[in-house]
Amino acid sequence: MLQGIGASQGYGIGKAVIIEDVTLDYSAVRYAGAEEEKARLARAVEAFTAETNEMIASLKQSAGEKEAEILEGHLTMLADPFMLSQMNDLIDGGAVAESAADTVCTMFYDMFAGVEDEMMRQRASDVKDVKDSLLRILLGVRTVDIGALPAGTVLVAKDLTPSMTSRIRKENVAAIITEVGGVTSHSAILARAMGIPAALSVKDATTILADGEEVIVDGFKGKVFPRPSEKEAEEYREKQAAYLKEKEGLKSFFGKATVTRSGAVKHVYGNIGKAEDAQNVLQNGGEGIGLFRTEFLFMDRDHAPTEEEQFEAYATVARLMAGKEVIIRTLDVGGDKAIDYLAIDKEENPFLGHRAIRYCLDNPELYKVQLRALLRASAVGNIKIMLPLVTTVEEVVAAKAMLKECMDELKAEGAAFREAPVGVMIETPSAALISDLLAKEAAFFSIGTNDLTGYTMAVDRGNAKVSHLYKAEQPAVLRAIEMTIKNAKAAGIMVGMCGEAAADPNLIPKLVEWGLDEFSVTPSSILQTRKNICECE
Amino acid sequence: MISKDFTIKNKMGLHMRPAQQFVTAMGKYASDITIKCGEKSVNAKSIMLLMSACIKCGSDITVICDGPDEAAMMAEAASMIESGFGEE
Repeated sequence: MLQGIGASQGYGIGKAVIIEDVTLDYSAVRYAGAEEEKARLARAVEAFTAETNEMIASLKQSAGEKEAEILEGHLTMLADPFMLSQMNDLIDGGAVAESAADTVCTMFYDMFAGVEDEMMRQRASDVKDVKDSLLRILLGVRTVDIGALPAGTVLVAKDLTPSMTSRIRKENVAAIITEVGGVTSHSAILARAMGIPAALSVKDATTILADGEEVIVDGFKGKVFPRPSEKEAEEYREKQAAYLKEKEGLKSFFGKATVTRSGAVKHVYGNIGKAEDAQNVLQNGGEGIGLFRTEFLFMDRDHAPTEEEQFEAYATVARLMAGKEVIIRTLDVGGDKAIDYLAIDKEENPFLGHRAIRYCLDNPELYKVQLRALLRASAVGNIKIMLPLVTTVEEVVAAKAMLKECMDELKAEGAAFREAPVGVMIETPSAALISDLLAKEAAFFSIGTNDLTGYTMAVDRGNAKVSHLYKAEQPAVLRAIEMTIKNAKAAGIMVGMCGEAAADPNLIPKLVEWGLDEFSVTPSSILQTRKNICECE
Repeated sequence: MISKDFTIKNKMGLHMRPAQQFVTAMGKYASDITIKCGEKSVNAKSIMLLMSACIKCGSDITVICDGPDEAAMMAEAASMIESGFGEE
């Protein structure tokens, strides 16, 4: 068994087709004179345009307008007269067509890749795609025709480029395996959009698997079984049948209101970590975003994201959700998370230390950038701000005062913004115990059951010797939840839940009974959770 | 040669779609067009150069048109920029 990342749900059983990485080495190409090289380049551009137009047409049918737009961008780039004249100049200077295309595309790649902006980095990968296609055409390299694969194919590649995924026919591809990429990579997003199970980051998949071999993909757990035994194949055929049956049954809950038997209206939202995941929530029938974890924006980089970058991420989600509620949690960091540039001291007890709202209130220069971006993004959609790890009323008051300062600044600058409601995440026993007092300052509550369980039971879920105590069903945790919901109800504010317990079929009847309004779960659990709630009294 | 200052209004700035519209429209004129944004100065008939200038919402830019039909070119450029390229 090979272990990768489960990036698109479902089970796929089929025969492997390996997509080899082609080498685009042109060192052996000899210069055939400026006229001939320019003519070769022109022919390649023409072939590229025809090929891309064909892909755009098929992509619009299989995946949608949005994916086709990426390829339309490729056409626009190559139609740039400046780019072509630069390439022709290089040819005049003695370069072969391949080298001219490579040099000019690489120059723009470096230019775009060097900019601290998500959109510009996407352009960089577009230029690279254009370059590879041009070189492939110029060198006459043959590739597997992804559009003509037989039914039951398991596609195995190092990585999938947008131009490759555009040719995939979902009825023929049983699963996708790649050696790189994570849940938010382009391949993962497309696989989910097309509903094809996928395991990504499967090490050495293209060398371990061989063409035509039987293979099983578990897109939930990211597992790959090369050459499965009859027993394994049987087991997965059963799992697959059960999953498909269940999925079919859940479809009727898509686009449906979440209403209990007695007529109480509830809402099922999705939890996300990156702006791109919002699409996933909509595709799974989510009525809003109940938790947007903003830490990911701050990770894997060498300085904090700028106000513009944060604005873009928040506004993208708000726009995509088109008026549906988007609850964004402000930075939840601490000594246990590696964000070097924040220079958070290593602590003896990071979970009881200088983290989340405590850290943010002490670092206004960092926190205000996020609050300003949130206020500005609120102007384009229905954003609510959520404060993590609150333990006192004073923290909420201080955060709201800082938000007010930001609003005054934005007003003075004449920037567009909207005052966003501020809610509190209830994830500490102290917050639950004073939830009646917090309700006076908070516009809403969201119960974070993962930390609430850990802090209430005083248990580290990662420690095998005590992890059996880590259960949201523990009476102490349930009392904290019940108390929080009752106090929210008494104050007339909305109360939701964004921990794993919100999707727990055993707990849902209790949560409904106590009056929880909103259940925010992993996007893939949305329909199941709605079904469970609709079946409650 | 004529020049005029603008502030970019549409929220997404000069990303792919507006840049494409702008470059196509400007390509019809014989005059040259340069956009200055901060320290950068780019040929605005090239989408690649225009995007590389990374012009955002709120950016202050200077548009310079130079050539036989510069007045008409500037008029169209101004109306596109001021209308936010038909975006929010």
